Amino acid sequence: MTAVVRTEGLTKFYGRRRGLEDLDLEIRPGEVFGYLGPNGAGKTTTIRLLLDVIRPTRGRMSVLGSDPRDPAVRGRIGYLPGELALEGREKAGEYLAFLAGVRGGVSRDRIAALAERLEADLSVPMGKLSKGNKQKVGLIQAFMHEPEFLILDEPTGGLDPLVQHEFLAMVREVRAAGRTVLMSSHVLAEVEDVADRVGIVRQGRLVAVEDVAALREKAVRRVEFHFDAPVPREEFEDLPGVRDLRVEGANLSCTIDGRPDALIKAAARFTVVHLVSAEPDLEEIFLTYYSEENEEEARHARAGVQEPA
Amino acid sequence: MPALVSKSLRDHRRSLIRWTIGIGAFFTLYLSFYPNISQNQELYGEAALKKFPGAMRDLMGGLEGFTTGVGYLHGVVYQLFGPMLFVVCAAVLGNQAIARPEESGTLELTVTLPIDRRRLVAERFAALALGLLGVAVATFLLAWGLSAAVGTGVAVDRILAAHTGVFLLGLFFGALSLAVGAAAGRRGPAMAVVGVVAVGGYIVETMGRNVDAVSWLRWVSPFHYYLDGRPLYQGFPVGDYVVLAGAAVVLLVVAILAFDRRDIGV
Repeated sequence: MTAVVRTEGLTKFYGRRRGLEDLDLEIRPGEVFGYLGPNGAGKTTTIRLLLDVIRPTRGRMSVLGSDPRDPAVRGRIGYLPGELALEGREKAGEYLAFLAGVRGGVSRDRIAALAERLEADLSVPMGKLSKGNKQKVGLIQAFMHEPEFLILDEPTGGLDPLVQHEFLAMVREVRAAGRTVLMSSHVLAEVEDVADRVGIVRQGRLVAVEDVAALREKAVRRVEFHFDAPVPREEFEDLPGVRDLRVEGANLSCTIDGRPDALIKAAARFTVVHLVSAEPDLEEIFLTYYSEENEEEARHARAGVQEPA
Repeated sequence: MPALVSKSLRDHRRSLIRWTIGIGAFFTLYLSFYPNISQNQELYGEAALKKFPGAMRDLMGGLEGFTTGVGYLHGVVYQLFGPMLFVVCAAVLGNQAIARPEESGTLELTVTLPIDRRRLVAERFAALALGLLGVAVATFLLAWGLSAAVGTGVAVDRILAAHTGVFLLGLFFGALSLAVGAAAGRRGPAMAVVGVVAVGGYIVETMGRNVDAVSWLRWVSPFHYYLDGRPLYQGFPVGDYVVLAGAAVVLLVVAILAFDRRDIGV
């Protein structure tokens, strides 16, 4: 199957300021792709290029097999802008009806169902909506026409935890239906539950693309066991992936690198009263993974400064 | 009606109604003075107006026959204030098309709709033209009614000719503000260009009549193609009006080409 997004050397300069440079990205059909990076790294630039809001300085891209300049392609995309602007006296419901009409029609029931799901009041003039409620309207318009490809720029901003939860459920449904999602965020925690793969962009460059499941397997996890009686330390030493082992009487704590299988089997020989396993902090792994690369980049940057012009 | 046209008209309806009321109030106020002026010839007649410096009379369009119905309508209503109100109204509408939504950020979602960028500009222009036409039709009917009520004795087809000119002049400036806004993405430059062209164009056309050094500039003044034909006296100056309408179309094409090739909201 052809890629939903394919870019080659995609580059965008705003005057002399770099927005994005040499992006080679492929997003596969049916996946949820998390697009991560700090503010100003180039996430929104990428997204706006894919939607033909801005034009590349150089490089090539195709979206759903076509050039994004083709208006018909945009009808197959649902887009939530990072800075959604809704204003005026117009009611949210009227605006949604307008957008739905231009995109070829969406049933009233579908809009009403989404509004109910996100607990959005569509009878309020848009200028009077709070940030969170505007975001809900933005999500409804992005999802309502059941697009093949959803592009969501910082979708969870301003949403309360319950609505965030509902939103993630909606993303999972989209994936289950075989449709594709690109969502950006500046923190991994926001996307790791739903994303299949994540890409990290820093200072206008894509520095890594990783499979989330593989990442999780590599994750460093802090684990504590409480046994009914003191356990011998030797039984747990030198187990694969076990580090920072500490045994104090009946309590054992350590970190696990990767699979916890060997540790679990060793522990199973004793009576386990209580087990604590903290969620792995994927963010931390990323930082460790790519800190080397960053240092190198920083060295290049410094070298660049010293070079005579 | 295309979705963007009806949507724009819906968004602008309050503003259009306010403009209609405002311009209507201007017509009502000024035409209501007419009976007083026509009954006091000696006070407002030619002799009285001769007291004004020539250049100032030029700027006011000559002020000839001020106490006659057609002279009053021409000098007071259709010379300066009437056209200027339409120009400002149209320029504001022109800014609503691209520059304002771009500045506020609402254009972002609009350009990602499955609508060609060129069509987007064309439809926004159509909404501008229709909205302005609505204001023009409503204020024409009012001007006609008031003119008959105060007894100016000006034929309806002459009022229609003048009013059509005012509408076309407005359309030109609306297209100008749309074109600058579509190219620059900001309201400031659009308003500045409209202001300079409107004020400069008006001065060149009126005072340039008697100043040889600038009289050639009258050809590029949009006001020339409205005022020079003296529609209230001579009826439709068809050729001039075609030039105005043609210039508006050219500006629309410029707007389309400029908007089609640039980055939005950067």
